[in-house]
Amino acid sequence: MGRFSDFLIALGFMKKKVNILCVGLDNSGKTTIINSLNPNKVDNGMIVPTIGFSIETFSKSKLNLTVIDMSGQGRYRDLWEHYYVDVDAVIFVVDSSDKIRTCVAKDELEQMLNHKDLKKRKIPILFFANKNDIEDSMSVADCSNALGLNNVKTKNWYICSCNGLTGDGILTGFNWLIGIIKKILI
Amino acid sequence: MMMQKKDEDTDGDMFQRIDKSTVLQEARAFNEYPINPKKCQQILTKILYLLAHSEVFATAEATETFFSITKLFQSKDIPLRQMVYLTIKELSTIAEDVIMVTSSLVKDINSTSETIYRANAIRALCKITDSSMLQSIERFLKQAIVDKNPSVASAALVSSHHLFNKNKEVVKRWINEVQEAANSRGLATQYHAVGLMYLIKQHDRMAVIKMIQNYSSGLRSPYAYCMLVRYIAKILDEEDIDGNARGLYEILEGFLRHKNDMIVYEAARAICNMKNVTSKELYPAVSALQLMLVNPKVSLRFAAIRTLNKLSLTHPQAIVSCNLDIENLITDSNRSIATFAITTLLKTGNEASVDRLMKQISGFMSEIADEFKIIVVDAIRALCLKFPQKQTMMLNFLASILRDEGGYEYKKAIVDAIFDIVQSIPESREFAFSYLCEFIEDCEFTKLSVRILHLLGAEGPEVSQPSQYIRYIYNRIILENSTIRAAATSALAKFAIKIPELRERIKVLLTRCLEDVDDEVRDRASLYLRILDDEELCKKYIVNENTYSLNYLESSLQEYLEDEALRKTAFDISKVPIITKAQEKSEQLRIKTKTAGILASSAMNSAREPSPKKSAMAESIDPQQQYAMEMEAIPQLAALGKLFTSSTLTPLTELETEYVVGCVKHIFQEAIVFQFNVRNTLNDSVLENVSIVMDIASQDDENIDLLQPLYCIPCNQLLYDQPEKIYVVYKRPQQYTPSVTFSCLLKFIVKDCDPTTGEIDSEGFEDEYQLEDLELSIGDYVAPAFIINFQKAWDEIGDANEVVETYMLTAATSLKKAISSVIDMLGMTPCENSDIVEDRANTHALLLTGTFVGGIPCIARARMIYESSTGVTLELTVRSPVRAVCEILSNAIN
Ligand SMILES: Nc1nc2c(ncn2[C@@H]2O[C@H](COP(=O)(O)OP(=O)(O)OP(=O)(O)O)[C@@H](O)[C@H]2O)c(=O)[nH]1
Ligand SMILES: [Mg+2]
Repeated sequence: MGRFSDFLIALGFMKKKVNILCVGLDNSGKTTIINSLNPNKVDNGMIVPTIGFSIETFSKSKLNLTVIDMSGQGRYRDLWEHYYVDVDAVIFVVDSSDKIRTCVAKDELEQMLNHKDLKKRKIPILFFANKNDIEDSMSVADCSNALGLNNVKTKNWYICSCNGLTGDGILTGFNWLIGIIKKILI
Repeated sequence: MMMQKKDEDTDGDMFQRIDKSTVLQEARAFNEYPINPKKCQQILTKILYLLAHSEVFATAEATETFFSITKLFQSKDIPLRQMVYLTIKELSTIAEDVIMVTSSLVKDINSTSETIYRANAIRALCKITDSSMLQSIERFLKQAIVDKNPSVASAALVSSHHLFNKNKEVVKRWINEVQEAANSRGLATQYHAVGLMYLIKQHDRMAVIKMIQNYSSGLRSPYAYCMLVRYIAKILDEEDIDGNARGLYEILEGFLRHKNDMIVYEAARAICNMKNVTSKELYPAVSALQLMLVNPKVSLRFAAIRTLNKLSLTHPQAIVSCNLDIENLITDSNRSIATFAITTLLKTGNEASVDRLMKQISGFMSEIADEFKIIVVDAIRALCLKFPQKQTMMLNFLASILRDEGGYEYKKAIVDAIFDIVQSIPESREFAFSYLCEFIEDCEFTKLSVRILHLLGAEGPEVSQPSQYIRYIYNRIILENSTIRAAATSALAKFAIKIPELRERIKVLLTRCLEDVDDEVRDRASLYLRILDDEELCKKYIVNENTYSLNYLESSLQEYLEDEALRKTAFDISKVPIITKAQEKSEQLRIKTKTAGILASSAMNSAREPSPKKSAMAESIDPQQQYAMEMEAIPQLAALGKLFTSSTLTPLTELETEYVVGCVKHIFQEAIVFQFNVRNTLNDSVLENVSIVMDIASQDDENIDLLQPLYCIPCNQLLYDQPEKIYVVYKRPQQYTPSVTFSCLLKFIVKDCDPTTGEIDSEGFEDEYQLEDLELSIGDYVAPAFIINFQKAWDEIGDANEVVETYMLTAATSLKKAISSVIDMLGMTPCENSDIVEDRANTHALLLTGTFVGGIPCIARARMIYESSTGVTLELTVRSPVRAVCEILSNAIN
């Protein structure tokens, strides 16, 4: 980044590029949530399980966002780490109606936090407790407990409940993330 | 790719000194932000360059590079994205986890904006997909096939073509989309769609025929039509033309009137290649080709003349009408066209035109390549035999080109031609010998010198002034290498034996040979000096007109050497059949005719003109050689000795059944091998331990016990659509040639198998499958043979053992049918195109030759009369040096 472009960004003339990595178990709703954030996407109800990954680029809140939507399926989870190096923020999606697998989610989270490329870096993590519309789904507090978030001391994190299908709650979490990013980067 | 081109211009040595580790370092730039598309493209180009030059990338290196390349999906730069696809395709076989770009590619394929890289994305996607993933992308491919953008549809169709080999079942489900694509407006799309549709239906002949009929009009792509023509040709080649395929000929004929040259040519060629084509059917095709002969396009003229040239071998009379146009092509500036023109004319031309043709040939002989010269020489050889009166001129010509520069194959062709002329036209001998003598004075090919010396020895003494050759032969003994000296010694001795007046003088020369430095030369000289003193020995060893059947001798000797028990006693030469020298020559001629054919077609392939027919080479490979090689690789079968002859493939099931089986019968000296080609068409089952149980179903032969089953070589595992071979071996005494009907049963253990993963159940059950009966008939014991002059061979064998039989072939409804069934029953080879019969004729003489198992020559004449009330009356006359063979063959008609 040249000095000049930093300057332009500070003045708000040029949008800064931000890399966001979106992870979480399969079927948790990552692609659904990213689509609802993406102003270029029309909802055609055609969301299929992601194979590998998919990169979405769009602008929002004066930032150029590159969101890497990873697949949550077991066979692709090893691939997440390839994208840790140059991320500015992480979105971690949990299916709050899937109590049984929260321990798997917790496990994946710990592995990620202990990865050499992320461990030392102060990057913000946004947790979505998704699918809050489903009956019997866990509350934010339950999710937070199940994931052991209270023990996460080294990172700046925030958890919020949301509904990927209607978009409820997504912006609350997203705005928090943007606030942090702008503070760190600019 | 435009970008890359510009780079090359400005930075010409970009590709010099590219080093893998440096490039991999540079590839880190993929992780940088902002992405520099131009720089990244260059790096990708370098990676592709390295891969294309077979630089080895370790899995880890490739995987790491692959992952950094995935970062480039962030960039929206179109050329860069295309380079990314290309690189992903190349890395897909080396790097791990390549399927992780699936969603990214699907996203590009589905992008609504008309981006030009959608087609590239489809190709990359199909390349990285494995068959377990295919189902998840199926929907997108189906959509792409019917996409209104032709490049997208074509990419999807071509990719499906590749996927078909990996997962047939899934691709078969797309048939409706493929059908829709075939009706699309894109020319390439139509072509690709028709190709894929054929691939899907190819094993269902009725469906293919329907498809051909359906598309025989209304398509727009000329390439698609050409494909149709080829499919038709394939069916016509498999099927008896009388049946269902009759209508297909009409479609071909219709294509001859198409306004696109390429289609017209394809159709004409397909008709010319049809089996048993009649002159009426040929007529429109030949007329179409005739028009092309005067076309300004070189490629068309070449294609047309090449096809006519091939046709002239089998149907010389059919192309006589084109002779005038062909003559004009002799002066064509394209020498390949001129060569084909001349050789065609030589085959069809009349005596009067020969002189003129020969002059023209001499004019450009030095301008063409060796392989074309060989074609010319072969044509002249044939011509000389046709017009013996012209032999002086031909020989002059051959002699003059013999003096020119040329490689071994070319010189050999000339010498072979002269030899043949000498054999068939004895009057030409003196003339020919003087040329050959002159040639060996200065011949750089030992093999040719030896052959010429042998010929001089064998036939020189019979010419009017034999002494003239002695000097030439003796000069060889003084000047040449030891191989040639030995041959010359033998030649001299033959003169001495046959011409008593010369004997004493030659003895002096032979005595000098006793001093030779080479022991072979000395040995021969002393042997001959000894024999020369004894009239009896001379007769026995040298003048003898008979010889052993060399094939038979070779195989019996081999057998003798391999068998401990046999070797205890001396080898018994009296069991080896004795044949006359004339018969030996016929056998040599057969081999020569075959190799000449191969030479001609390989020369055609190497011609620089675009070759419209790729399979020419494949055709020239003799299936029997192929079989022999396959069986020699199996120790049990290799022990049976040399393969005598193989039948064609007899289907034992319908083509559309669960298991498709066909059989080829191989005759050995003392065994019969039944080769079963089996194919499993069920994708959800696997057969194991597959064997064939053969039983004698019917025979009228009390000696049948002599035919003893030895063993079956089963096939361990028969996977879906992977043909395998099973062999069943029977032993038979040498002279015993039974006709038998066998019942055949396929036995196996069947196991279920998952079509998508290929996983096989551990449990299976035994099952069997009844096949159609298999006939072993007398025709199977006869190997093809080739002769040029039937009458001569007929007279040479003589009527000593002749057998004549008369039959009523009531089942034959035409002469054509009778001819093909007689050929089938006897297994013999038709000569002089006598298997072709005029449409309206009602009498015919079919001339046949063959070699009966044991290497015994046989020759037959079948006279036929057709009457609509009674069918065909056949009078069959068989001749052979062995009486039993005549009897066996004349009884083979039923
Ligand atoms: N009821 C309900 N369903 C949701 C919600 N969010 C997503 N879904 C559904 O959950 C399913 C999975 O959503 P995806 O976005 O494909 O999940 P993903 O995390 O991207 O899954 P992978 O790509 O396989 O890792 C889809 O059928 C969505 O319609 C939600 O808030 N409520
Ligand atoms: Mg997803």
